[in-house]
Amino acid sequence: MPDDDELEEELRRAERLLDPVPARLMRGAVDMFAWRTIDAELAALAFDSVDAQSAAAVRGSDQPRLLTFQAGERSIELELTGTAAERGISGRLIPAQQAEIEIRLGDQRLTATADALGRFAVTAAGSGPISLRFRPGGSASWQIVTEWISG
Amino acid sequence: MMVHPDDVGVLVRSAASGDKTAWTALVAHFSGLVWSIARAHRLGSADAEEVFQITWLRLIENVSRLKDPERVGAWLATTARNESVKVIRLGARTTITDSPYVLDRASDEESPENVVLESEEGSARMRRTRQLWSAFHQLPGRCQQLLRMLIASPPPSYADIAALLEIAIGSIGPTRGRCLQQLRALLAESEAADSPAHP
Repeated sequence: MPDDDELEEELRRAERLLDPVPARLMRGAVDMFAWRTIDAELAALAFDSVDAQSAAAVRGSDQPRLLTFQAGERSIELELTGTAAERGISGRLIPAQQAEIEIRLGDQRLTATADALGRFAVTAAGSGPISLRFRPGGSASWQIVTEWISG
Repeated sequence: MMVHPDDVGVLVRSAASGDKTAWTALVAHFSGLVWSIARAHRLGSADAEEVFQITWLRLIENVSRLKDPERVGAWLATTARNESVKVIRLGARTTITDSPYVLDRASDEESPENVVLESEEGSARMRRTRQLWSAFHQLPGRCQQLLRMLIASPPPSYADIAALLEIAIGSIGPTRGRCLQQLRALLAESEAADSPAHP
């Protein structure tokens, strides 16, 4: 029987052979470099209702997931409902302001508009990480981008 | 491309200024670690994939904001750990271990070494490797988490592992010993079940 160090080394080898990082995922992470948003303010996740719940919820239950992102004086409230088959993504920009929005859901890119009260809503299908970016008040470039979250 | 630990900070700063080659080197160097941590939480392929993606996406957004670029490995490990916990809270199914070959992904991602080994006399060795991997997944969750982090590439320091798992540094050595002993016992059981003397 191998000693501790030998056994650990065998385990290391087993992992390398039987559960390596899929090459496709690494290529994806390299390509995702193009998804970076230069010069926009990053709105960090300040609140996620998932962290507040006491037991693991079933994904796609009736409970909406509520999130708040903060970027200095501005914040974005987000509500996620539904399942990958049909999901709702809605929220508002605070302080209220009209804005052009790009919603990134995995590889998908959806457009939306926040009205004068800063409110927006879209429906989508699919899964993947989610991030929104905003061009408020007719600005030509992205001003705010939300931290990526699991979808 | 081999990355020297001293170069990590340089790569982060280059990536922050838009250098895709530097970014690629970071992905190549730390992907094993991120994947190991996601899988250490017994996440299935789809959920581990999502954790992997989110972790790297977070770095893309933060690469110019890191307080300590040299410590990007620890940053990635912490992010992967937090996202794994979150994905479980979101209702991810952790993998069921009664069917160990479900976890054997060699069939859908043949590593070159795997292909060579299976065609050689090394098939007996490969069988033992699979037995070991299967036995590993019968260990308690805490053992799997700790061992998977210890074998990750590049491996987090004991201090980083202690922070990630919220355990005392001093407990890592003894826990590792106990877990490896359990693994040894499970391996012996499966080898005995294999032996011709077994009815």
